[in-house]
Amino acid sequence: MRIADKMGLDQVNANLGKNRSDMADLQNQAASQKRVTKPSDDPLAATRVLQTRTEIGAGKQFLKSIAQAKNFLEYSDQSLGELSEVLMRAKELAINQSSDASASEETRKVASTEIRNLFAQAVQVGNRKQGDRFLFGGFKTTKPPFDAEGNYRGDSGEMKITINKEAKVAMNMPGDRIFLGKSEAVPHRMGPPTTNREDFDPRSSEEDSVVARGPASLAMRTLTGSNIDLNLKSNDVPKPETPPVDDEMPKGTDVFKVLRDLEISLKANDKSGVQESLDRLDEALSQVVTTRAELGSRASTLTSATDSLQKGQIDAKTLASSLEDVDTFELVSDINKTESTLKASLATSGKLIQPSLLDFLK
Amino acid sequence: MSKIHGMMDVGKRSMMNSQTALQTTGHNIANKTTEGYSRQRVEIQTAEPTGLGNHRIGNGSKTAAVTRTNNPYLEKQIGKEQSSLGYFKGKSEAMNRVESVYNEQQNKGLNTFITDFFNSFRELSNNPESLATRTQVKETAEFLTKDFKRVNNQLNEIRKDIDQQVATNVDEVNQLTGEIAQLNQKVQLVENQGGPANDERDRRDLLVKKLGEKINIRWAEGHDGSVTITAGNSAVLVAGDDAKRLSVGSTPGTETKGEGSYDIFYQSSKDGQRTNVTSQMTGGAIGGLLEVRDQNIGGLLSNVDKMAYSIANDVNAVHARGFDAHNRAGQEFFELPNGVKDASANLNLSQGILRDPMRIAAAGQPGSPGDNRIANALSQLQYENVMPGEQSTVDEFYNSMVGEVGIQMRKAVTSQESQKGIVDQLKNIRESVSGVSLDEETTKLIEYQKAFDASARLIKTADEMFDTVLNLKR
Repeated sequence: MRIADKMGLDQVNANLGKNRSDMADLQNQAASQKRVTKPSDDPLAATRVLQTRTEIGAGKQFLKSIAQAKNFLEYSDQSLGELSEVLMRAKELAINQSSDASASEETRKVASTEIRNLFAQAVQVGNRKQGDRFLFGGFKTTKPPFDAEGNYRGDSGEMKITINKEAKVAMNMPGDRIFLGKSEAVPHRMGPPTTNREDFDPRSSEEDSVVARGPASLAMRTLTGSNIDLNLKSNDVPKPETPPVDDEMPKGTDVFKVLRDLEISLKANDKSGVQESLDRLDEALSQVVTTRAELGSRASTLTSATDSLQKGQIDAKTLASSLEDVDTFELVSDINKTESTLKASLATSGKLIQPSLLDFLK
Repeated sequence: MSKIHGMMDVGKRSMMNSQTALQTTGHNIANKTTEGYSRQRVEIQTAEPTGLGNHRIGNGSKTAAVTRTNNPYLEKQIGKEQSSLGYFKGKSEAMNRVESVYNEQQNKGLNTFITDFFNSFRELSNNPESLATRTQVKETAEFLTKDFKRVNNQLNEIRKDIDQQVATNVDEVNQLTGEIAQLNQKVQLVENQGGPANDERDRRDLLVKKLGEKINIRWAEGHDGSVTITAGNSAVLVAGDDAKRLSVGSTPGTETKGEGSYDIFYQSSKDGQRTNVTSQMTGGAIGGLLEVRDQNIGGLLSNVDKMAYSIANDVNAVHARGFDAHNRAGQEFFELPNGVKDASANLNLSQGILRDPMRIAAAGQPGSPGDNRIANALSQLQYENVMPGEQSTVDEFYNSMVGEVGIQMRKAVTSQESQKGIVDQLKNIRESVSGVSLDEETTKLIEYQKAFDASARLIKTADEMFDTVLNLKR
């Protein structure tokens, strides 16, 4: 092949240019410690990295939400602990005053004032606040849920917190369930957290299932075993909460009514009334204990959700790192390789450029 | 029988031939680095011999022609490959800028702001009573709308820049075609007088190749030695010594082309109709630029618009079912853009929410400050297949868009690199054929110098012979 001078020079240029640009690329990687600095470096990895970032971003928020919900739950639980103490004390008093051997009209009168205090204490617990929010008012978190007579002003709303892509957990226990014994709005709520889609499909117009749908419609839904929405789809705005239900609920115990009745019985020196109260106090106590157990189970759901989220976060970060970060050892060896190639090109280029016939003519 | 005069003649012609050859060698050496130059050779032939009886006595040599060493098929092939190199170059340069709009490896972009936006609703559902969380929702939503505007704006800026580049390229095309037409005239003029127009042809070949880098052309050489060049299918740019100009002008937008973006026009005669030939310009740098402008950026803009509209529409729909902190039914969250087109540029928060974040509807029923059901539903939209076709979530849609940009960019870059390899290879072959080699030229230099010396010696010998003849009488 005939070799013209320009060929060699062009080749030198092209080779050196390529070596230098390879070197610059590697140096860029070394400086940023990123293998992917723009989408075209590895489109697939760049897309996956974005996905993991979305996951990590949402995960962070979920963890934050869970921490807050846990706080709320724990504080609720602590308050209910106080409530059970109140009820225990009431029971103690009731036991003492239920037999004539240890009690008299006089002692019952004294006890009745203590019960009145206990009543006020129970109301106080019902109106407990975390920050600016009342714990036991359902959705009505800005006004005291109970008045001095123990009438419930809140509703049965459950504030549900998204704990991961699929699930929500209610962070509050509405006061009517604890104090008035209103049965759970959704019977299976105690078990695993509900799925997000089940209780609120943002794309359907019927947006609430918990309150507006009674247990009946939910039961039917469970029977059919599918996600078919039995409620008529309507574009109506959700109906306002029906006024709080008092003691019409068959099973529940109205804590305040129990305390009030006890007080009246004591005041009236009605021994059988006091004895009757004993059973009802037991029921009230077990009602509180049951709700506390539910709070506990929710808290443990949150704990395990935290664990799996944290693990997920680490996994996502590891994945992102493996996709976009440089493997330092590989990079350094690549740099060495490219450097020696560059040196070799330079050395041979020098030889290639220099001599021509002219150099040997005198 | 030969004559002394004849000898002198032979010597003289030989000296002149050598001089011609030496000058050509000098020309070669001088143009060693000239782009597009083909080395030239002096074709020396034997001169017509003289017949004397039975003998034909050689009359030395003559210079037949100065030719260039050039393979026209190779030149044509280089032209073609260089044209597609120009295309990929134009494309990758423009895509490079598009990619930077979507590069979240280094900057925050839509991916981050979408996540922040939905996270703010999650935070709102933690604490729907708080003004602070509501303000945060408002602010992240504003960031989101701003970033939609940024993407829209940057893409449109790139479009405008591409327009400028197209205009510059069209100017260069006009300059090139003008010079080619002049060269056509020169080539004809020179070659009518006999010898090949080497330098003019070299220059013309080079310009045609450069023209091909800018725009897709077809060309052919006629019998008279002039080339006819057609751009696209129908725009005859050069015919003989006549060059036609291309021009650019703003035209109304179409589905993918932006409003006011340039089209390319061809005018076949001075008073003739201007014809829009944009759709024919599919190659060269102009073709690459136009493709990025109309196909890639057009598609990306319409996708960003779709995203902005879907988010606005779906968020509004859910939001409208809720109740705000003033117990009023939820209003629009976003001001819904008038249509999908340009939705990303026109996406704004509704005035009501801008003024008062308490108007964000988090509750599913009035009078329930702690009700977070709508906030939950809004945050859940992130995982719903809300994009048209209900096949993908907003995140998926956006991420695949980024992936697509990356793939396009990568394709353009690798195509450009491999095309450059092809062109380099072909240019190498061309140099091998047409390039100047110093070794060769030096050899020729020595060779012709020696021939020159020897020819001079011949004349001197003839001179001495004359002397001898003249001295016979003494």
